[in-house]
Parts: sequence; structure tokens; C-alpha cells
Amino acid sequence: MLRTLLYSAVLALWAGYSYSESITPYYGSTGNAVTDQSLKWSMDNVLPEPPGLDIDTVIYNYTIRKQTEDQVDVYVGNENANGTGYIFREHDQWRPGSLDGTEINKVIGTGSIHRDVWGDGSIDVVGNGSVEDPSVIYTYRVDPCYDPQFDPNCPGYQIPVPDIPEVDLTQLYDVTEDENIDLDRTTDPEYQNQENLDENEKKKKEEEEEQKRRYRLEKAMSATDAAALFVEGQRIQQMNEIANIAANVNGYYSKSLPGGTYQDSVQLADTQLPDNRRGLRNNLAQQLLHQQMIDEQYINIGE
Amino acid sequence: MIKKTAVILGAVLVPFASIAAEVPITGTVESRCIIQTDTAGTFGNPNAYTLTTTAADGGDAAVVRYDVSLADAYYAEITPPTQFSSSPSLPDAVTWTGSVSVKTVSDATGMGSYETDKLEVGATDRYDLTATGSTWFAIEAEATMGGNKAFAGGTYTAVAEAVCIAK
Repeated sequence: MLRTLLYSAVLALWAGYSYSESITPYYGSTGNAVTDQSLKWSMDNVLPEPPGLDIDTVIYNYTIRKQTEDQVDVYVGNENANGTGYIFREHDQWRPGSLDGTEINKVIGTGSIHRDVWGDGSIDVVGNGSVEDPSVIYTYRVDPCYDPQFDPNCPGYQIPVPDIPEVDLTQLYDVTEDENIDLDRTTDPEYQNQENLDENEKKKKEEEEEQKRRYRLEKAMSATDAAALFVEGQRIQQMNEIANIAANVNGYYSKSLPGGTYQDSVQLADTQLPDNRRGLRNNLAQQLLHQQMIDEQYINIGE
Repeated sequence: MIKKTAVILGAVLVPFASIAAEVPITGTVESRCIIQTDTAGTFGNPNAYTLTTTAADGGDAAVVRYDVSLADAYYAEITPPTQFSSSPSLPDAVTWTGSVSVKTVSDATGMGSYETDKLEVGATDRYDLTATGSTWFAIEAEATMGGNKAFAGGTYTAVAEAVCIAK
């Protein structure tokens, strides 16, 4: 018994845990709905996309501009999109004595009213005055499971069944029932011409076909022979080249140099070789210079 | 005999008469008037001898908010500061001026005339909170050093007083 209860508790907790975060309701707020001096706005431009959106509160503020002695009535509201009148309409009665430049900051709880009901919004000023820096902000709650088909975890989710259209088969085109089409081959003119050819013509055609086959065979065989001859020619040429190489190289291998003494064959024709006079002069000049250089090393010693 | 009986009876009753029990009765009253600081003010220093909350001089007015859930039951009394609660040493006497005004209301019809109907008692402004809702009061203050002497460098703090008084 205890075990059964434990299992039940675990299953219940598991189901709660497996509930997707994406289907948890969440809250948010819009920006300022008043974007221009017309002081009117469409809720389609203010609210975000999700369909399951309920508006909870409206927060508005503005600064009144008026003379102290004047009365100015300011109305802030949203029309009822599903009927006449307003979802809400606040009346700010600025009586004589209220000062220019006073701000109003108001929070209106509307309950949870679905977005489809919210019509256009507006600020209407009646009297000798105006509003400055108006701001209207809506706070809302979004239920992602407003449409149960949003997520398989939503309550009421139904597995979608594809919508397959029914087709009336009798309305489909049937070629076999088309009067303009004759499926009987025997009535085909080409088939009939083929059948009407006489025997001689058939024989003649067969012979022509036989001749063509032979011709094609000869052409194929001749091409094969040409290829074989070409290969054979290449093989013979290569063998000849190998034989020539062997013959040329062997000639060098068989050469030899004969041994023995080779005598000098130089001969001098003149018996006397005179000195070169220019060379003598040059030689004497160098000798003189050499002597001077040697003598210079004793100059300091003599002094 | 009668007298005796009476004495006895008296002796019997005395112990019962002296027994007593104190039964406490407690209750909590939540104020229907709540005061909270909306914006802390700041002093600007347009010249050496002046500190002011005027926005044009670089200051910010303090804003205090009154939330009243019972109409016509309270007065709001607000007094701008008349001295520094903390400051560097002051070389001379400081002259204070201040003002309070209704900045924002949550009900134009009921609160629109708060400012014109206020009562000034000395430096204190008294508002009759005749409507339920929230009212924001702006508190301005200016301190001027005597003899046009300069404020010494440092941090200056002053405190305005806002109270809610039951009628």
C-alpha cells in the first residue's frame, strides 16, 4: 500500500516537473501608447503578438496645462471593441483652483480583460486647457496555452490530424473511357502498313540488313588489325635501337694505348743567345734602388 | 447569632473576592497614511556661498509621497530644512529659504486644489488630505552663507521633515 502511494506521488511530481516552461503564464508591460499629438492610439500597435493576452492595469500620467480659474476635464479610456461604450474611462476633473503644471499619476485596475475587447484608446480634453507629456502604459498577463494547440503540454492539446480532402473517383479522367482515343492497335495505320508489306520486300530488307552487318564487322576487324600492326612496328623499332646501342658502346671498350718511351723532339737552331739590353738597364735601375734602401737603414746610426 | 454568622460568611467570601485575572486585549492599527521618500534631493552650488535644490542651478528637489487610504482624516505637514544635519565647519550663519508644493496627484478631482488650499504655518506647509490616493510633494531648499562667505569643501546634508497628523 505504501509503495503504491509512493509511486503515485512520484508520478504526480514527475508530471508537474515535465510541464514545459514555455507554457507558464508570464507578465509584461507595453511602452507608452501615446506616440503623437492626436492623443489617440490603436491597441494593435501597442500590444505584442500573443493571442492569450489579458490586460490587468492601465497606468497613465500627464501634466495639466490650464489657467487656475479654468475648469478642464480630461478623459482617458479605451473603447469596447465588441460593443459600444468603453472598457474603462477615467474622468480627471481639474476644477478652478487646481494649478497649472500639476501632474497626475494614476493606476487603474481593470481586472483581466482579454485583448480582443480592447478597442482604440484616447485622451480627450474638454475645456480651456491641454495635457503635456502624456503616457499610457498597459500591464498584461499572457497565457501561452490560450490556444491549446500552442504546445503539446498545454491542457486540451489534441494531436493534429491532417485534413485529407475526399476525392470523387468518378470525376477523375479515365483514358479508357475517352471516345477520342482508340486503344485498339489493329486500327493503327502504321501497324497496318507494316502488316501489308509483301514477302519480297521483306526478304530484300533482310538482305540489306545482312550486308550492313558484314560491312560493320569488316570495319571493326580492320581497325583491330591496324592496331596490332602498329604495336608490332613499335616493338621492332625498340629492339633495333637496343641492338645499335650495344654495337656503338662495344667499339670503345676494345680500344688500347700502346706503352714505351716518348723522346723530346725540341731543337735550338741558334748557338748564342745575346742579353737583352733593355733588360740590363732595367736590372741596373732596380739594383740601384735596392742599394739605396739598404743604405737608408744606416743613416741614423752614422749620425 | 446574626453577627457571628455574618463574620463567618465574610471570612469565607474574602478569599474568592481577592482572585483576579488580567486578560490582555491587543490590536494592531495600521496607519492609513504612509509617507515614503520618492526622490532624495541634491544641492547645486551655483556660487561659492549658495547651495540650492533649484534645477536650473544644478540641484534636484526632494519628493515625498503620501499614500492615504482614509479620506479627510489626516493633515500632511512638511517643513523644508532649516539647518544642516551634517556639514564641514561653517564660517558664518546660514540663511535658509524653502518651499513645498504639490507635484503630482492620483486624483485630479479630489486633490487638484490641495496646493491652493494649503495653510502655511511658519516654515511649515499644512495640507488637508481630503481624498484617498497618493500625493507627491516637491520640497525645495536654499542655503546662503552669511557675509557671502564661501562654503568649505565637503558634503552637506540637510533633512526636511514630513509628518502625517491625524485630525
